[in-house]
Amino acid sequence: MNDAIDLPAAARDKEARLVDWLRARGSVLVGFSGGVDSAYLACVAVEVLGAPRVLAVIGRSPSYPAEQWERALEIARRFAVPVLEVDTHEMDDPRYAANPTTRCYYCKGELWSLLSPLARERGLAAVVDGTNADDLADWRPGAQAAREHGVASPLADVGMTKAEIRALSRARGLPTWDQPSSPCLSSRIPYGTAVTPERLRRIERAERALRELGIAGDLRVRDHGDLARIELSGEALEHWLAPVRAARLAGAVREAGFDRVALDLRGFRSGSLNVLGGVTAA
Amino acid sequence: MKANAFEAALRAEGIDCTVEERDALAVVVPGGDGMPRAGGAVLDAAQRALVLRLGREHGFTHVAVELPPPAARV
Repeated sequence: MNDAIDLPAAARDKEARLVDWLRARGSVLVGFSGGVDSAYLACVAVEVLGAPRVLAVIGRSPSYPAEQWERALEIARRFAVPVLEVDTHEMDDPRYAANPTTRCYYCKGELWSLLSPLARERGLAAVVDGTNADDLADWRPGAQAAREHGVASPLADVGMTKAEIRALSRARGLPTWDQPSSPCLSSRIPYGTAVTPERLRRIERAERALRELGIAGDLRVRDHGDLARIELSGEALEHWLAPVRAARLAGAVREAGFDRVALDLRGFRSGSLNVLGGVTAA
Repeated sequence: MKANAFEAALRAEGIDCTVEERDALAVVVPGGDGMPRAGGAVLDAAQRALVLRLGREHGFTHVAVELPPPAARV
């Protein structure tokens, strides 16, 4: 931990409670995506319990961006987190592929149905995920699947918020501390529109192309069939609305396979398609 | 159709465009001369706020402006 970084007392207290939580279990299997939350949790778990008592498991499927997979492996290497990769097959489940508002339930159900038995086989006491306290207020049908499989959410249990996880990650030197949130690629497809590997690849190509243009921070390419709707954070939105830049933006996304490109005027919104689908309020 | 009413409201504000309705998403398609530009942007901050407000008032939770192909911009 880097003490030079001034951490709020509340965050330190919550981390101390997290340490107690992990010690009380003794060993854990972490559902590991390489995102801000699960990277922090896995690293703390290794520090507290020791690598032999931790297993971080990456669930791989077409909805998991390749870029994030590479980042996850890099973090695991740098912080000596033992990793196992398993293939998940949620795309084969027609209930998932139909993309209902409960899509995440089927995806997480598939993931945890593989990981819970794995934890038992390996003698690991608990299966944990990176759900944080902020997530509890959001539309998260995947949380029900976690409960059904006995998955614990220690970050949420100790009341740790995303901002606190970022601050604590920074203090630990985790490169994820300022990484944008990156939910699965299926979250870019409006509910009711089928999730297909081709669609997911097109979204991934488009977002990668925009990153290559130099767009950092929050970014989503929402798939509306022939039309890609780009969501950028406020500052980036301002910058890329300049006509010449907007043309480059559109060109990059068309190259990725969309016929038409539109820029969302409100910009990035986490859970934007939940609002569009009427699942959560605007 | 709420797109027609939204489009009329935009035109009344001097914004030449058509509006395409996709459930609660409005896609604003610039007219022949493109969107009015201020400050070098496709839409400046005040115009964006206006378009978003009018969109909300006409029942849209999301408003996006279509970016024409490069050839259409010259």
